[in-house]
Amino acid sequence: MNRRKTMVRFFTIADYEEEERWLSARHQSGWKLTRIIPPCFYIFEECEPQHVVYRLDYKNNSEDREYFQLFSDYGWEYFASFAGWLYFRKPASEADTQQDMKIFSDDASRIEMINQILKTRLLPLVIVLFCCLVPSCIQSARETEPLATVLTVIFSIFTLLYAYLSLHCGIKLQKLKDRYHKN
Amino acid sequence: MEDKIKRIYVPMTESGFYILFCLRQPQHGYGISQQVKQMTGGELVISPGTMYGTLSKMEKDGLIAFYREEEKRKLYRITELGEEVLNLELHRIERLYKNSKGEFSDE
Repeated sequence: MNRRKTMVRFFTIADYEEEERWLSARHQSGWKLTRIIPPCFYIFEECEPQHVVYRLDYKNNSEDREYFQLFSDYGWEYFASFAGWLYFRKPASEADTQQDMKIFSDDASRIEMINQILKTRLLPLVIVLFCCLVPSCIQSARETEPLATVLTVIFSIFTLLYAYLSLHCGIKLQKLKDRYHKN
Repeated sequence: MEDKIKRIYVPMTESGFYILFCLRQPQHGYGISQQVKQMTGGELVISPGTMYGTLSKMEKDGLIAFYREEEKRKLYRITELGEEVLNLELHRIERLYKNSKGEFSDE
């Protein structure tokens, strides 16, 4: 049994390229990812250091048997999934060209993936922000009881956190889209 | 409805064109990719994410249809609507090519 270790890392829905590079660097240093436990625990297993390319695709559970068969035909190993994301890897030595290391070959499909993320992940985040958190904040701020003050603080912290996350992800995804558009 | 599809698909992306072109014969995703690689001297490689997305979309729009399953792989084939769209696109490319060579015509 190989040694195992757990790392805690938080990536937002807009950080998938960073996550791919991070996982590839771990593999290069002799630790390959075996699974992810929500919300942010990465379980690694010791392995031979190797240059392996990692790729993430966002399908939001719309993937089927044909999808996995196709990726396996192209030499991609599927090994984990997490909140709508699917994790693939392939040793760089098995790729003949630069394009063999990618899972998308045109920008239209990259943009399509981002649109899916915006629609199914960012939009719910924004809805929760404006329909639950902000009204709760206002509601508890109107009360004068001591408990209400504590609640106001808690709701405010969550509201700010949600607002920051939504803004950060929204801007970053838009920038990624612009970059793909320009290519 | 069909006119709308024709407007969306003409002009086509290079990947879209080759995928539709290859499906005049029944074929599965990876097979198409190998065929396109050969036809373009390795210059055009259609990655799996793009292939899956394009096939799903074309099937939904009725340009291609499921043909049968072979060794766990889904084979597709072009439909009548797909043929029409492909012919429109071929006609457009032909005109483009002729004009670029200075062979202008009024058709």
